[in-house]
Amino acid sequence: MIAHEFAYERPTTLEEATRVLTEHSGSVRLLAGGTDLVAWLRDDAVAPDLVVDIKAIPGLDTIELDGDELHVGSLVTFTDLIESEVVAEHAPLLIEMAETVASPGIRNRATMVGNICSAVPSCDAGPVLMAYDTTVHLIGPGGARSVSIDDWFIGLRETACSDDEVVTHLTLALRPHGGVYVKLMRYGGEDLAQAAVGIVEYPGHEYRVAFGAVAPTPIRAHRIEEVLRGKPLGEEVIADAVALVRDEISPITDMRATAEYRARMCEVMLERGLAASHERLEGAGPAYGTRLI
Amino acid sequence: MELSLNVNNEEWALDVAPADVLLDVLRERVGTKSPKIGCERGDCGSCTILIDGRSVRSCLVLAVEAEGHEITTVEGIGADHLSELQNLFISNNSFQCGFCAPGIVLSATELLARNPSPSRHDVQEALSGNLCRCTGYEPIIEAVLAAGERNEEVSA
Amino acid sequence: MTTTYPFEADSVDDALTAVGTPAVRIDGLDKISGAAQFVDDLDFGPDLLHGAVVESPHAYARIVSIDTSAAEAAPGVVKVITGEDFPYNFGMYMEDRYIFAQHHVRFVGEQVAGVIARTHRQAVRAAKLVEVEYEVLEPLLDPKEAVAEDAPLIHPNLGDYAHVPWFFPKADTNIAHWRKIRKGDTEKAFAEADYVLEDTYRVPRYAHCAIEPHVTVGKLDHAGRLTVWTASQSPHTQRHLFAEALAPLGFAHKDVRVITPYVGGGFGGKAGVSMEIIGAAMATAVKGHPVKLRFTREQEFYNTYQRQGVVAELKVGVMNNGTITAVEHKLYWDAGAYVEYGANVVNAAGLSATGPYRVPNISNDSLCVYTNLPPGGPYRGFGYSEFHFGLESHMDRIAEAIGMDPVDFRRKNAIVEGDELSYGGHMNPSGMIEAIDKTAAAIEWGVDEESKNPNTIMGKGVALFWKAPAMPPNASSASFLKFNEDGSVNVSVSGMELGQGYLTVMAQIAAEILGLPVEMVRVETPDTDRNPYEWQTVASHVTWSSGLAVEKAAIEARAKIFEVIHEVYGFEDETLYLEDQKVKCTTDPEFAKPLREFVIDGIQTDDGTWRGGPIIASGKFMPEFTNANSDPETGQGGHPNVHYTVGACGVLIEIDKETGRIWVRKAALAVDAGKAINPDLVKGQITGGLVQGLATVLYEDMRFDDDGRLMNPNFTDYKIPTSFDIPDEMIPIIVEVPQPDGPFGARGVGEHTMIAAAPVIANAVYNALGVRIKSMPITQEKIALAVTDRHHN
Ligand code: FES
Ligand code: FES
Repeated sequence: MIAHEFAYERPTTLEEATRVLTEHSGSVRLLAGGTDLVAWLRDDAVAPDLVVDIKAIPGLDTIELDGDELHVGSLVTFTDLIESEVVAEHAPLLIEMAETVASPGIRNRATMVGNICSAVPSCDAGPVLMAYDTTVHLIGPGGARSVSIDDWFIGLRETACSDDEVVTHLTLALRPHGGVYVKLMRYGGEDLAQAAVGIVEYPGHEYRVAFGAVAPTPIRAHRIEEVLRGKPLGEEVIADAVALVRDEISPITDMRATAEYRARMCEVMLERGLAASHERLEGAGPAYGTRLI
Repeated sequence: MELSLNVNNEEWALDVAPADVLLDVLRERVGTKSPKIGCERGDCGSCTILIDGRSVRSCLVLAVEAEGHEITTVEGIGADHLSELQNLFISNNSFQCGFCAPGIVLSATELLARNPSPSRHDVQEALSGNLCRCTGYEPIIEAVLAAGERNEEVSA
Repeated sequence: MTTTYPFEADSVDDALTAVGTPAVRIDGLDKISGAAQFVDDLDFGPDLLHGAVVESPHAYARIVSIDTSAAEAAPGVVKVITGEDFPYNFGMYMEDRYIFAQHHVRFVGEQVAGVIARTHRQAVRAAKLVEVEYEVLEPLLDPKEAVAEDAPLIHPNLGDYAHVPWFFPKADTNIAHWRKIRKGDTEKAFAEADYVLEDTYRVPRYAHCAIEPHVTVGKLDHAGRLTVWTASQSPHTQRHLFAEALAPLGFAHKDVRVITPYVGGGFGGKAGVSMEIIGAAMATAVKGHPVKLRFTREQEFYNTYQRQGVVAELKVGVMNNGTITAVEHKLYWDAGAYVEYGANVVNAAGLSATGPYRVPNISNDSLCVYTNLPPGGPYRGFGYSEFHFGLESHMDRIAEAIGMDPVDFRRKNAIVEGDELSYGGHMNPSGMIEAIDKTAAAIEWGVDEESKNPNTIMGKGVALFWKAPAMPPNASSASFLKFNEDGSVNVSVSGMELGQGYLTVMAQIAAEILGLPVEMVRVETPDTDRNPYEWQTVASHVTWSSGLAVEKAAIEARAKIFEVIHEVYGFEDETLYLEDQKVKCTTDPEFAKPLREFVIDGIQTDDGTWRGGPIIASGKFMPEFTNANSDPETGQGGHPNVHYTVGACGVLIEIDKETGRIWVRKAALAVDAGKAINPDLVKGQITGGLVQGLATVLYEDMRFDDDGRLMNPNFTDYKIPTSFDIPDEMIPIIVEVPQPDGPFGARGVGEHTMIAAAPVIANAVYNALGVRIKSMPITQEKIALAVTDRHHN
């Protein structure tokens, strides 16, 4: 039961949506899958005057391959990703990540864009979208604009999206790659990440590494990427990368894990993850979806 | 707000508030009591229903969002005769208190509709969002696997 | 045999047709079709009101004032009630509890006021408008701090509370009950022992997490009758406590009615009375209206019973040949703000804290300590799971220290029939040795397993368990039985179907004696107006106790059937038997009188008149060999426990040496059911209990902050097992050494199956890694940090 009451709008075009958003002076929340928003409403964690449901806007629920770009609409659910052959072929890491998100009953509803809009530190999509080359596309009263995923997360539950904007889709620049999403959880069942890492290796020894749940936002590990750049993976190189983990992250101790455990596990996950993404780049290694920890 | 709702192939015309959650509307306004209230924040799966054939947590859906969609609950699945899966759940003594059962029947029904002969891992995955405190899951998983085996026999 | 059982049930028969079969549950169809109704599913009509609770934000505070005026003026509000309206205390075993806080709040979440409104939303919104001013006091959150000499008192009037005679509260302390056992001479035994091991083990609090939250609907009708629908394990005990607590309002027991439909899991959390008293009190404030109070999942965590935490200081002495000579066990229980039920957990643990071993010299102290945390109470295992963690960890360590195999060490010391118990009684027949051997065989004890994965390592562990029902010495059960026109039977009992299969088992017992198929017996959930008395469905005692009551009723009905057959046909009773819904006769193979022909209408005689009539019967059982009158200083002299159920558990685990993650590859659990009335349901108890127990050791954990606030009152952060969190293979093993006074030899198994789970993992972790973890839970984090720390040191 949600004790707080609010108004509800269901625009059918993006123009109508942005108009509703700009016209509304009080607090407003966008509703897509609702798996975060409805829970927050119920918990009294948010109390908007207006909820704007964007699910009636056509065209936001598609996954499309456009040359060497993959478009993922803002209404695409985690289940859509898991069931998409295009994604399986071109961006399999999205599936590996999506399969760690909650459980089917949530994934049938929850959207990946919603996940990065909620922008909690443990946001699963964050590290993977950072490891891929991702751009977020928005529309607002001033028209359309785009933001690199690296500039998307501003702080705890805070993003580059302003109150009067709607995310329309993401684009991922596609290149051959091998990657992993490694997520530390308290047990085998669904859990929020205690810590996570997304890794992509591109041909030519180019690496992208991003961590989740070890800082207020998902973070790119630029120093680690730098130390790896141009080098074939070997024990020493991996050790050099692992040695930098504690410089990259700023984990906290909370109910889910201590800072120390998070840090040690980031080291372990990076070590195992680099090896596995390299194997996958070579067309070997554990199948996508296999848990490395 | 006016809302027309299709529940188990019956049409309902209701007046609801935007803040009314689908789970509560199903239970209190439509009288469909098989979706249960376990946590009201998406953690337990006891409120599971099917929307257009996909399992959804009805505690995380505003009733107004369900306009134009088909809702199925256990009452709708076993209305005329129990499904094969339901019969297997009974003969295997799969459930104890049974509070989780409506949600699990629906999650497993969705699985079998998409994947008629699932592996043990597939079954575990499909049920992973439905908490059961009583059974240790084993007798539930066994029954779903048995349903899958029957599907395989039928198609063979 | 030194215990005499005054009542010997029918001896176990080889030719059983209903008992001992894996009958399909009689509630299966209800539950799978969506037809099963739980309290929240019942309809109460348009005048149903909704309750919400105003809760304390402080762990310990004095209530300075409560201003309800804004809430009363809020839309839809019908009534706001506070402690001033109900200045009564009550409790299960000790009357230290209040309907609403009186002057003080003692834990975060304690009910301070209640709001009743037309809609649930209105009630919740108005509850936020009740203004309470507090003078905040320093809370006591640790039992060891609370027993310190100068600790402030949480209940300054402890000395005034009424309590059962087997509790020994220490007035002017925070010790609400102190169970002592003194037997033999521990001091001498430790001095003479070849090896003594002393250590401390810690167990945190746990939550039951039945998936159905507590719900109560109360209605005081205009004629003054109070009906309360509850999700409860204890309808009659609730009726009694409602009647007693609300006695100043003029209720007699006959005017209070408790109706309990299906219950969505209990595990002890729905025993006794917790939030139900609030619902009952609300009903008395809005005469004529039903009022519903449904707890949220969060309230379920912080304001129903919790499993108590414990600090266990254990000292065990052994001889080099492996004989245990002395046990000293000091248990400091974090019992919470009110201990009306939890103190009996403390008592039960104190009586049995040696574990299932033959120990000549014993000193047990089990202290029930008030703290400013939510009230502790019954939880599956009732204190035994808690002390078995340390005890069974300790047994492994001792075996290793004296160079003995842990299984051999246990087999050597395991308590067997006739051995003396800590309080002076004698052990009942038990299949402990068989359970140990079968468990060891199932996990191939002694065979080392190699992991194929370089990151992981395998380990094995074993642990034993025992438990007795913890009940008042005169806890009783009763049953009614009546035949219907078609020869089917309705059995009325007041035990609760919590999922364990109680209704099915009662049906099987009645069916067996009456020669009926199980499907011909209907057993329903209770209504205290109509169903006969049952103390509570707790303590794993209903198969045994209620089963005996049903058995007696069925035997009585059978006797009445034979009586009318004898009267009409002249056959002697001894020659008659029931089979296939007919009365048959050993001396006349031709004779077969279908029950349906006469169990209501009787039998017409040659002169056209009729004999017999409706066959109805009743049965009751109360143990008449127990008493709780033991010496407070030694615990000797009474016979508090009816019998113990024993068993063994073994696991094979795989551990990731870096992350600490544990996979339980195989888990075997053997329990001595005496006689498995329904082996399928016993197996259900084994798999369910094992998984619940494994969760307590692997990840579950109630986490409180420094102010006593529960930080994880939800399934997002209080993790309970999902379908992925079960052993790869579970091997249930049923041992059957009959309980002489049990129905067909049966004894309870429901709680026992989770007791050994914690130590068995602790032992397997040690076996794999050489790391001994002495505080629960043994999370992957704890393991990983312990392993790497060891490498660094
Ligand atoms: S009630 Fe919806 S998931 Fe628990
Ligand atoms: S059978 Fe009780 S919760 Fe599943």
